[in-house]
Amino acid sequence: MKITINKEEAKFLVRIADTSLILGQRMAEMCSKGPYLEEDIAMSNASLDLFGRAEEMYKIISKIEGNQFSEDDYVFHRNEREYYNIKLVEQPNVDFAWTMVRQYFYDVYAKEVYTQLLQFENSEVKGLAEKVLKEIKYSHSKSKNWLYRLGLGTEESNNRLQIAVDHLLKYVSELFNWDDLDKKYFINCDQIETQWNTEIDSVFEEINIKRKEVPPLSMRDCRDGFHSEHMGHLLSIMQYLPRAYPDAKW
Amino acid sequence: MDKFEEAFNKIIEKDRKVEPRDWMPEKYRQTNIRQISQHAHSEIIGMQPEGNWLLRAPSLRSKQVLLAKIQDEAGHGLYLYSVAETLGISRQEMIAQLQSGEAKYSSIFNYPTVSWADIGAVGWLVDGAAIVNQVSLQRTSYGPYSRAMVRICKEESFHQRQGYEIMCSMAFGTAEQKEMAQDALNRFWEPALMMFGPHDSDSVHKGQSMEWKIKRESNDHLRQRFIDRTVPQAQYLGLTIPDDQLKFNEETQHWETGPFNWDEFWNVVKGNGPCNQERIDHHIAAHKDNEWVREAAAAYAAKTELEVA
Ligand SMILES: [Fe+2]
Ligand SMILES: [Fe+2]
Repeated sequence: MKITINKEEAKFLVRIADTSLILGQRMAEMCSKGPYLEEDIAMSNASLDLFGRAEEMYKIISKIEGNQFSEDDYVFHRNEREYYNIKLVEQPNVDFAWTMVRQYFYDVYAKEVYTQLLQFENSEVKGLAEKVLKEIKYSHSKSKNWLYRLGLGTEESNNRLQIAVDHLLKYVSELFNWDDLDKKYFINCDQIETQWNTEIDSVFEEINIKRKEVPPLSMRDCRDGFHSEHMGHLLSIMQYLPRAYPDAKW
Repeated sequence: MDKFEEAFNKIIEKDRKVEPRDWMPEKYRQTNIRQISQHAHSEIIGMQPEGNWLLRAPSLRSKQVLLAKIQDEAGHGLYLYSVAETLGISRQEMIAQLQSGEAKYSSIFNYPTVSWADIGAVGWLVDGAAIVNQVSLQRTSYGPYSRAMVRICKEESFHQRQGYEIMCSMAFGTAEQKEMAQDALNRFWEPALMMFGPHDSDSVHKGQSMEWKIKRESNDHLRQRFIDRTVPQAQYLGLTIPDDQLKFNEETQHWETGPFNWDEFWNVVKGNGPCNQERIDHHIAAHKDNEWVREAAAAYAAKTELEVA
């Protein structure tokens, strides 16, 4: 099955859907691995929200594309190079600090992304954005709270947080490498970047975390379907059953 | 008999509920702690065999259904730990007992889930057996436990239905899928029946628990209810129950099974099942790996409280 996405609008939206899906899958890995039961449940919640918002977006994309493919086709039958999520969300759960920094970086970014989608022409996207913003507001306050706890908790937690931040910052500049499609559909690309930087800088200052200078990276862009090595492993696990049994219905 | 004991006996006799503030015999308290914490541990350890397929669920919908189910089980565990806490034990103590092997959990979770059909079989059979047991426990004499069972049963019946739905799509799917479904039934049938515990003739704790109305119906009685309910469901799926002595008794209107392999049951309970070590190791690893997180959260809470004060 060769999945194609033809309409510009769908090509733009699939980036957002893929980002939700892949982060949801990463968060699902944390199931039964949380620091305590309450947090375990909270992480499952976050993952469920992300899968839900991905599913809704794939449905919209499918409609735009004339119902050629189902949401499951998009999820289970595209290869790495046909995925367009930001690399940030495919990074692994090295420890709880990585999980929370990744989530926080995403939440700050997604908050502005979905706020701009409120003005989207397609009313279904608008409706989805409204719903998602409520989820993000909650998730954002949670992940931000964890950054405070880890940053200001103990020396060890501050160290671990700093290490996670140092690694994950490498995947942030890509968020703001706007192309024509972004410029066409976002209302104000620069604002997404400014908002992100402003919040991160002010929070980092409060929690004793340094934002190191990230040199210009020779890394290909997610908008062209380029990923880190982690992505292939994530997909091979996620897509195993529908690929191994192409005739099966689940 | 002092007046406290008399009051307690009266509650039991009149079929009323014992509440945390009531006086109760120490053995009643301990029996409840053992049973409720074991139930809580089962919910928590049960997350693992199902989590084993979470990342490989074959559709967006089944992924969300499974994740929500596992999350429910975590919620049940949390709720049951807090019920046990009303009897004067802390969650920390209970978790330490689980990790040291002092406390048990349902042996069924020591079996591996090796195909997607196993996720169907677990929902259908394991949650199905759990419901039969828990519906009966809605009438247990300890109030908080009884109320917990009422709340939890509603979710368990969803789980069972969703598991059966997976079995349907597998059993009515391709030949390969049907084969997986049959294989899952073959492996989970007997362990699911043994979830109800030893036969009444061999059960150790039975007498006193029944008198105190902690347990309301016998193991064999509950097991029979489950068998009678489940055999027709397997038949509908076109699957064969792995018991060549299984037959319907027209007179009693009950299904009769062949003998179970109790040696295997006791061996798994003793710790020699396929995944006993893995389940506890996983729990300990998650706990240890996150010790620094809990320390940070506690340190931060202490600091911010200080600032407020
Ligand atoms: Fe449960
Ligand atoms: Fe359940």
